[in-house]
Amino acid sequence: MKRAELISRILIVVGILLAVGAPLFFWARTPLIHARMAEDGGWNPDVIQAEVGKPLHLKFTSDDVVHGFAVGQMDMQSVDILPGKVTDITLNFDEPGIYTFFCTRWCGLNHWRMRGTIEVSGSSSDPEPATVPLYVSLKLDLDAPHDAPVVPNGKPLAISGQSLETNLPIDQSAEYYRSHSPYEVFESLQNTPLTDGQRWNAVAYFWQSNTTSESLANGRQLYAQNCAACHGENGAGNGVFADDLVQAGEASMQSMSGAMNMMMQAPVDFTDPRRMLGASPALLQGKILRGGMGTGMPMWGSIFTEQQIWDLTAYIYSFQFEYEK
Amino acid sequence: MAKIELTRIPFIKNALKSRYPQLAVFIVMLIGYIFAILAGLIGTPVGSHNFSIVFVWIAWWAILILVAVPFFGRGWCAVCPIPLPGEWLQHGAVLSPPDKRPKWLNLRVPKMFRNIWLQNISYLLLALFSSVLLTTPNITGIVLAAMLFAAIGLSTVFERRAFCRYLCPVGGFIGLYSQTAPIELRIKDKQVCVTCEGKPCYNGSSAGYGCPWDVFPGGLTKNTYCGLCMECIRTCPHDNIAVNLRPFSADLAKPSTRMDEAFKAFIMLGSAIVYAGVLLGPWGMFKDAAYNVGSSAWFIYAIVFLAIIFVVLPGLFTLGILNTKNTLPLKQRFASLSTALIPLGLMFWVAFSLSFVLTNASYILAALSDPLGLGWNLFGTANAAWLPMLTSILAPAQTLALVVGLVWSARTAQKSANEAGTSSMPVVIYCFVATSLMLWLLL
Amino acid sequence: MRPTPNTDRPTSPNLMRFHFSLLLLVMAGLAVAFVPLPVPAITPQERTFEIDAHQFAYSPSELKVNTGDTITIQLVSADVVHGLYVYGYDISVEADPGQSATLTFVADKPGSFRFRCNITCGAMHPFMIGKLNVGSNSWLYRSIGLAALAVFGVTVSKKPKA
Repeated sequence: MKRAELISRILIVVGILLAVGAPLFFWARTPLIHARMAEDGGWNPDVIQAEVGKPLHLKFTSDDVVHGFAVGQMDMQSVDILPGKVTDITLNFDEPGIYTFFCTRWCGLNHWRMRGTIEVSGSSSDPEPATVPLYVSLKLDLDAPHDAPVVPNGKPLAISGQSLETNLPIDQSAEYYRSHSPYEVFESLQNTPLTDGQRWNAVAYFWQSNTTSESLANGRQLYAQNCAACHGENGAGNGVFADDLVQAGEASMQSMSGAMNMMMQAPVDFTDPRRMLGASPALLQGKILRGGMGTGMPMWGSIFTEQQIWDLTAYIYSFQFEYEK
Repeated sequence: MAKIELTRIPFIKNALKSRYPQLAVFIVMLIGYIFAILAGLIGTPVGSHNFSIVFVWIAWWAILILVAVPFFGRGWCAVCPIPLPGEWLQHGAVLSPPDKRPKWLNLRVPKMFRNIWLQNISYLLLALFSSVLLTTPNITGIVLAAMLFAAIGLSTVFERRAFCRYLCPVGGFIGLYSQTAPIELRIKDKQVCVTCEGKPCYNGSSAGYGCPWDVFPGGLTKNTYCGLCMECIRTCPHDNIAVNLRPFSADLAKPSTRMDEAFKAFIMLGSAIVYAGVLLGPWGMFKDAAYNVGSSAWFIYAIVFLAIIFVVLPGLFTLGILNTKNTLPLKQRFASLSTALIPLGLMFWVAFSLSFVLTNASYILAALSDPLGLGWNLFGTANAAWLPMLTSILAPAQTLALVVGLVWSARTAQKSANEAGTSSMPVVIYCFVATSLMLWLLL
Repeated sequence: MRPTPNTDRPTSPNLMRFHFSLLLLVMAGLAVAFVPLPVPAITPQERTFEIDAHQFAYSPSELKVNTGDTITIQLVSADVVHGLYVYGYDISVEADPGQSATLTFVADKPGSFRFRCNITCGAMHPFMIGKLNVGSNSWLYRSIGLAALAVFGVTVSKKPKA
C-alpha cells in the first residue's frame, strides 16, 4: 500500500476514534445531577451522600426547563439550574442527618414534588432536640372544618383597632396569638361594649402587632415563590394551576370511593373570611408543615424553617386584615 | 451570456484534481458528523445547547440553503461525509484505486428505484417528524447515524453511491435546486467523448473510480445528478471535463418533464409554506399538532400536510394550466411548467430559513464552547446570551428573496411556456399568489 | 429543430427604451417600498393585555394596537418559567408561574412584530411565537405590491417568440 494511503487511513481511524471516544470519555467522567420536570423523573440522582465537614461539590444541569436548587432548612440562597447549562454548587454540612433538597423555580404542576435527599453522615457536635409542632401539642385536627360562624363586613382595619386596643382583655403573649384563631379572639371580646365591627378591628390590630414588617416582607416573597402558583397571586385560590388541580381531582373521583375531601381539589382561597378567620396560626402552621395528604397541598416540613412558616402565616392573614403600611 | 471555465485556472484545476485537499475536507467533515451523532446521543437533551441540533439545523442548514445550494449547486454533496466510510470500503482505498479491488456485490439499483421517488418519500418522512427532529438531540443523532449506516450498508450491496443518488432525503432537493446554481461540471467537447474508448469517466480506471453518482459525464446537460465529486476530472484521459461558472439557472432553460422532479418541486414549495405557517406563525394549536407525533392531532396535521403537497398545490397548478393553448400533453406540460417552481421554492426556503437562522445563530457560539452541555468553555463563549441577529434587515431581506424568487420563476415560466408552446400567465399568477401567501406568513 | 432565439444585440433605440423601462420599474419599486403613506391620526391610548404563556404558545397570541399606544403586557406563566421578547422593540420580560411580570412600552414603530419566548421552556421553545400588530402592516402590503410590480415588469418585458 502506498505511504499516502496508509497515512490517510491512520488519520481517518484516529479521527473517528477521537470523535467517538472523546465525548464518551468526558461524558462518563462528568458526574451531573440532571433536573427534569417531576412528570419526567425529577432529580436524577435524587439521593446524594455527604459527610459532615467535607465540602460537597455538585454539578447540576436541567434537561428541559428552568429549575432551581436549594436545601431545606439551610440558610442558603437558591441557585438557578438552566437548561443545557451546568451549575456548580458547593455545600457544607455541620450536622449529620437527612436533608431535603428541592426545586425553587416553578416547573409544572408537580414542581413541589421535585425533591431529593442528601444523606449526611458523621458525628453530631451540637444535637438539637426535636421540637413538637404547636398543632400537635394543641391536639388540633388539621382536617376538621374550621369555618368562623361570624365574619366581618369588609376587611377589618388594624389602624382603627389601634385606638381601641388599650383596655382590651387580650393576652399579649405570642403563645396566645399562635394558638387562637381571629374568630376566637373576636369571641373573647364579646363582653366588651364594642360593636362587632370594632371588635374585628381590634382583632386586626392584635394580629398586626404580632407581625413585624420584616416578617411580612419575607412572607410575601415566600408566598410569591412557593404558593402563588396554586393559591393565586392575590390569594384567591385561583392560581395558574388551580384548574389543573381540580381536573386531577375530578379525574381521580372515579377511583376514590370514600375520602373525597382528601383528593386533589381547588387550592384554598385565602380571601375567604369564613375559612380563614376560623384558623389559628398554629392550624395554618400545621397545614403547611404536614401538607394536604393527597389534596395537592405540599408538605413543607423539611423545607421551611419554623420562622419561615410564621412569616408565611403572617402574610396569609394580610389577605384578611388591612394592615397599616 | 458567457461561461467561464474555472478549471482553466491551474490552481483551481490542481486543487480539484488532487485527492489530498478533498480528503482533508472529508476527514474534518466525517469527524464533525460523528461528533454530532455522539453529541445527539449523550449530550444535553436541550436542543439549543447541543452541538448536534445547533450545528446541523442552524449552522449547516444556514450554509446549505443560503450559500451552498444557490451558489454551488450540489456543492454540499461534494464534501458530505455520509457516503465516505461505505465508499472507502467499497473501493478498498481512501485515495487512488488500489491494485486489487475488494469484491463487493456491486449490484445495480433496480430500475423501478432509479428515480427520485424514494428521496421524495425519505424527505417527507423527515418532514412529518420535523418538529421533533429539529428540537430533540437524540432523534437527530439517531437519524444522522441511520443515514450513515444506511449509506454503508447500501455501498456493500449496490454499486456506486446508491444512498446519495437514490435515498438521501437532502440530496433530492439539493439536486433539484442545483439547476439554479451558477456552477456546473460539463464536458468541453462532445466529439472527444464520441471517440473515447472505455469511457473511464463512467467505468473507472487506475487513476480514479467510475462516476459514483451513476452519471455519464459525457451526457451531462444539467446539474441535477452530478455530485461534484471530481472523479471524472481525475479519470478523463483527454482532459475533456471542466468546472464552469455560468449564469444562474442556466439548466432551467431545458425544463425536465419528469414527474418525480415535478412533484419534488411541489413537495419543497409546500413544505416551506407549511413550516412558515406552523413554526413561525402565532398558532399554537398547529405547533402542538406537529410536535405530538402519534396523537390524533398529528395524524390530521400529517394528512393535511400531504394533501397540500400532493393534492392542493399540484391540483391548483393543473387547473391553471388545463385550458391554455398547448402543444404538449397535459402530463408533460405539468412537469415542464412546474420547473418555474424551482427558483420559487429555493427562495421560499431562503426566506423561511433566514428567520430562524438569524434568530438562533447566537446559539452557535455557546454550542462551540460547550457542545455536550457538560459545563465546558472551550472558547470562552459558553455563556453567550441568546440574541437575535440583524432583526432590522430580516423583513426586507425576506421580501427581497421572495420578490427575486418571483421574478426568477416568472422568467423561468416564460421560457418553459415558450418551449411547451403555451401561455405562461397561469403559472406566473400561481407563483404570485404563492409568493403573496408566503409574504403574509413570514412578515 | 427549434428555431434559435433572437440573439442579436438590441439596436440603440431599443436599448435606450429597455434601460428607460427598467429605470421606471426600479423607481416604481422604490416608491412602492418607501413612499410614506398618510397615516390616520388616532389618539394614542393605554392598552393592557394579559398574556398567558404555556408550553408552547401564548394566549392571546396576536395583539392589535394603534401606533403610539402605550402597551402594558402582563405575562402570566401557566406552567413553567417563560419569557416574552419583542422583535423590533428589543425588549423582554420573564415570569415564573405565580409571579406574573409586566412590560410597558410605547408602540411607536408601526408594523407587524413577532414576540417570542426567550427563556428555554422545553423542546418547542424556539417556535413559541406570537405577533404584535402596531397600526397597519404596511411592509406586508408594500411587499405584495413589489411582487405585483415584479410580475408586471416580467410580463411586459417578455421577449418576443422567435
